[in-house]
Amino acid sequence: MSEIALTVQSLQKSFKDQQVLHDVSFNVRKGEITALLGPNGAGKSTTIRSIMGILYPDHGTIKFHGEKEGQIPKHKIGYLPEERGLYKNVKIMDILLYFAELKDYPQKKAKERALSYLKKFGLEGKDKVSIEELSKGMGQKVQFIASIIHEPELLILDEPFSGLDPVSQEVFKEEIRELARNGTAILLSAHQMNLVEEMADRLIMIHKGREVISGTMDEVKREYASFKCTIHGLNDENKLKTIPYVTRVEQQDNVSVLFLDQNLKAAEWIRKLPSDIQIEEFRLDRISLHEIFIDVASDRTLAAEEEEKYA
Amino acid sequence: MRNSLKVARWEFKRNVKNKSFIISLLLTPVLFILFATLPTLLSGSGDDAEPVNVSVSDPSGIWAEQIEPYLSNADLNWETSVVTASPDEWRDGLDEDESAVYLALDEAALSEGQITYYTTEDTPDSFAGEVQLLAAPLQQLNLQNAGLSAEQMAAVTNGIQFNAEELSDSEQAADTGVNELARIIPGAFAGLILFSIVMTGMMIFQSASQEKKEKVSEIVLSSLTPSDLMQGKIIGYFWLGMLQVGVWLLIALPFVIWRFNDFPIMEYLFVPELALLIVIALIGYLLFAALFVGLGATVEDISSTSNFQGMIMMLPFSPLILIGPILSDPNGLAAQVGTYIPFTSPAVMIMRLSLLEEWPWVEIGIALAILVLSVWLVMKLAGKIFEVGILLYGKNASMGEIMKWVRS
Repeated sequence: MSEIALTVQSLQKSFKDQQVLHDVSFNVRKGEITALLGPNGAGKSTTIRSIMGILYPDHGTIKFHGEKEGQIPKHKIGYLPEERGLYKNVKIMDILLYFAELKDYPQKKAKERALSYLKKFGLEGKDKVSIEELSKGMGQKVQFIASIIHEPELLILDEPFSGLDPVSQEVFKEEIRELARNGTAILLSAHQMNLVEEMADRLIMIHKGREVISGTMDEVKREYASFKCTIHGLNDENKLKTIPYVTRVEQQDNVSVLFLDQNLKAAEWIRKLPSDIQIEEFRLDRISLHEIFIDVASDRTLAAEEEEKYA
Repeated sequence: MRNSLKVARWEFKRNVKNKSFIISLLLTPVLFILFATLPTLLSGSGDDAEPVNVSVSDPSGIWAEQIEPYLSNADLNWETSVVTASPDEWRDGLDEDESAVYLALDEAALSEGQITYYTTEDTPDSFAGEVQLLAAPLQQLNLQNAGLSAEQMAAVTNGIQFNAEELSDSEQAADTGVNELARIIPGAFAGLILFSIVMTGMMIFQSASQEKKEKVSEIVLSSLTPSDLMQGKIIGYFWLGMLQVGVWLLIALPFVIWRFNDFPIMEYLFVPELALLIVIALIGYLLFAALFVGLGATVEDISSTSNFQGMIMMLPFSPLILIGPILSDPNGLAAQVGTYIPFTSPAVMIMRLSLLEEWPWVEIGIALAILVLSVWLVMKLAGKIFEVGILLYGKNASMGEIMKWVRS
């Protein structure tokens, strides 16, 4: 298992009387991409801002391995915040060199890296133009370069894909992977589940400030990624609930979605379906990370768990 | 501190490369020189073009020997000639639009002490004053004709003058004119420094507000602390202000030295008093810089700032109200009150110390203590406001929010 770069332990934070983080804990490892997921307002940015020392947690510890307790090695961290921008009327190269200087990175090396990344992201020859002359997508690429110009050991990306077109998303995805392959520890928050599913090695999902799912991508998939069955036809919801392995039923008009237990053997289950069910259309799919996310975001899983607990 | 210097260098560099800053930097001294020279040049060229042709009717033959030598020291733009023509003949011989005067120095006029002179429409109004210079030699001539001795004549013409002389330990006290200049020149220099750095200090407000608007502060704060960023801005804009003073002096000083070549300006400038005046200017800058950096962090959209923020922006100009009372009485009540109010104190002190012969050291000491305490307090409050405000994107902070940050 890879070496741990960052440990977040029992993080708690309140704004006014509202607690926005409840005991959030996770590790970020070198050479791995850890995804921090959750709906809007879940506490992702608060967690990230606490790691960066921009906010102070009320309780809990943030430990950068290889550093003294409570010390944030800012020059070893790359950070792309969710709310981001750049100085408008300054040349791109000047901005990139300034950010490198703030991180104590040698200027000559920074210039070489800046030129090479600009070329890589299709911005060759744009080093002397100002941000206001670039499109929004191009600006985001420059922001991304600014966050990695100093070869950070830990890279924290808050919603790096927001506002990007699919082509740029691919470019970013490939670059983030490349950085991880080279040993950078990466923590990213995102909404695009398909991208996270493709990239992340580990994930932690928080909802209303609480950790709801965590583990490696394989563990999470094994634990949560079961099947769902969509049936078009007029059927009684209560009757569908009595079918073996069905954990939950959602029905709208004549479309019923049956959520199935993860121990299900699909072929056998299909064979044993009651013969009096009306089936005009039938589909069996894997539940994706996206649906797990929607489930969590809309409190359905939590509600189902609560129901089970008090049943 | 290292991080603050990085920010300071950045703020300095990006403003120095900014076109509008460069233009204002160069334009200000040029405008100053232009305003200082243009009126003189214009009026000067008028003098050169049109001297007053003074025609003197001198039947007694006194002009050349007795009167004219008196005028040689006076800087008069007269072209004199002795004529024998009568006033009517003189008038007929004039060109159109000629600036001319006919001065009748006949014996009757001299003895009665009533001398008539005739002017044209184009004779300048200043001639009425200039012609009074003739009174002394003419009176002397009258007395001479009456048979008075040289001593008696001197006693009558000199009259009685009152000469004020203040008792003072200082050896230089007798020469009050020189002393005043010796005070005003360093004062004016310190005032220039205060003006320049406070003006660039106001740019801090824009810089902090822009950083919020461009949403760049969170990226910057991932590398340094809010107080590093705040200090860096204050130092950077201080450098910018000093550069501005340097450039202004470089352009304007040779001109000032040339224009006022009678005074040893450099000698008066580099006196020990200058050090204190500069210290006052620098403390004043720190006060306003802290105020503006804190305020800038609360404002994202300058067009929708509240009255409160607008009033704070006006604070550096508050000493202007006190200029009149201070000039009329540098030790008056208004001057003293202004010395103790932190926001007016730097400018008021510089003004007073430039005017006063004896410096009120106790007042200076108290005022400096109040000022330093205020700087510490304002820096502390600005730090708290800046820390939270700079990350509050998307809106201007309300008064209530600012109070909450300060109390936290």
